[in-house]
Amino acid sequence: MTAVERPEARPVDTQRPVPVPDELSAPFWAAAARHELTLARCSDCGTLTHPPDLVCDACGSTSPRFAATPVDGRGVVRSWTVVRQSFLPGFADLVPFVLVDVQLVDPALAGQPDVRLVGRLLDGVDAPLSAGAAVRVAFEQLRPDLAVPAFELAAS
Amino acid sequence: MSGRFRARDQVAIVGYAQSPVTRHADRSLGALTVETARAAIADAGLEADQVDGFVTATLFPTSGAHAVVDGVSVVSADWLAARLNPNPRYAAGFSGLGQIPGSMALAVNAIASGAADHVVVHRALHNPRGSYHATSSTEFAGPMQWTAPQGFFGPLAMIALTYNEYVQRYGASREALAEVVVEARKNGARLPWSYWADRPLTREQYLAEPMLDDPISRFDCDIPIDGVAAFVLTSAERARDLPHRPVHVSGYATGAPPTRRLPAHWPLDDLVSAGATMAERLWASAGMGLDEIDLVQVYDGFSPLVYLWLEALGRCPVGEGHRYVRDGGIDSDRPGADPVLLSGGSLGNGRMHGVPQLLECYLQVSGRAGDRQRPDVTTALSCHSSPHLGGALVYSAEAG
Repeated sequence: MTAVERPEARPVDTQRPVPVPDELSAPFWAAAARHELTLARCSDCGTLTHPPDLVCDACGSTSPRFAATPVDGRGVVRSWTVVRQSFLPGFADLVPFVLVDVQLVDPALAGQPDVRLVGRLLDGVDAPLSAGAAVRVAFEQLRPDLAVPAFELAAS
Repeated sequence: MSGRFRARDQVAIVGYAQSPVTRHADRSLGALTVETARAAIADAGLEADQVDGFVTATLFPTSGAHAVVDGVSVVSADWLAARLNPNPRYAAGFSGLGQIPGSMALAVNAIASGAADHVVVHRALHNPRGSYHATSSTEFAGPMQWTAPQGFFGPLAMIALTYNEYVQRYGASREALAEVVVEARKNGARLPWSYWADRPLTREQYLAEPMLDDPISRFDCDIPIDGVAAFVLTSAERARDLPHRPVHVSGYATGAPPTRRLPAHWPLDDLVSAGATMAERLWASAGMGLDEIDLVQVYDGFSPLVYLWLEALGRCPVGEGHRYVRDGGIDSDRPGADPVLLSGGSLGNGRMHGVPQLLECYLQVSGRAGDRQRPDVTTALSCHSSPHLGGALVYSAEAG
């Protein structure tokens, strides 16, 4: 996993909505707080998925015992939009911002169903974007103990 | 398994009513629904005590923090039944997307099986005061924890991502989408009940509108409204004795996404692949193909869905929908064109979901479309929602 600056050094925005971790999601959010992107690996069939669900999509296991598995955070942009009006608290000062629809490309995902994440592109609305553009995960620190995944252009 | 619908053309629509579509009705949604259902029952030549089945879908499609209150912001089948004919033999609600094909299918199946004789299918849609989609929630549990904290929230961003994927892949222009929206508003302007009655939109107005979530502007989205429609269904056999020419349900199909996704994440390939499956099911169910359908009415709650439905149904190849609509391809005033938005759609009526498409198919096949009546419409097809989560119905003038 890419080394990142210490979370305490990042600006904290307490206005934005935060996730409420549950049994399935807690490992993901714990890793995200360390600025580490994980996917959920089914203990029965080994397929990586996001987000984890009650039953494994790939093998049907009703006891998938998902393991939060680090991935390299690289991906390609499949689509994007410039959000100019946010319906959420805490984003008024951030609009306009870019949301990217990213297909992760970690080698561990080869040969299995695609895994897509949607998040903010932190390079700004003027950053050059095209379908297939390479990105890597970045994290936005919302609280000292909470970070959410976003993306940056890999070339930047 | 052939997939053929065994009750093909054995159940018919025999009456309808459509309330005025307004931004905020002057009475409660419940009262408006009772009035509209009574009008539909009367239109069918029936009395309320003959209606022994009630079906609806109560989805309140807001991402905002609005209370769901039966009779106020939604109207369930049970709520309506209690006020029209308590203790009906059959009352059911459809819970998925594609609320019109979903609830019509429940009603058709109930009648075909003998679970009910006369069923009212209604759809009641409410526009709450305040912002439709905004929320002040600062915590998200469950599925939304994976999207809202990241800034991905609401249907605008949903369709913007899908449509930009289409734009990037196929080179669709804003000028092409203008043709869709202008056509919907033109047809909607001719409907006395429409929110947009007598208010068409020009291409210039469309193109001047700023983006909300690129490449989607306000005019690409249907406007939230208060409005109710109701349809009465019964068996083809009983329909013969009723006042209007019956319109039979030949078949239906709904989609199924190929992959579980984040909430409100609609990758283009999901819509295309599940849309193709949905269309195959539809032709198998109805026992006919696209070339046997006289009138197709596509869903347009977001304007790009018109392309995706045209492509899913096979009106044009995948990626060609934006060319199909150019140069008057769907112009209802041009002889020989394919008037897929003759209903005005949601863009031309207001957020009535799949009602306009169903209503136009009913009116045209039953010969009740008045000034809009087109000759020789004996089969029709209506769509609702997206090809991968919604569905479609096929209708016929002929009893099975």
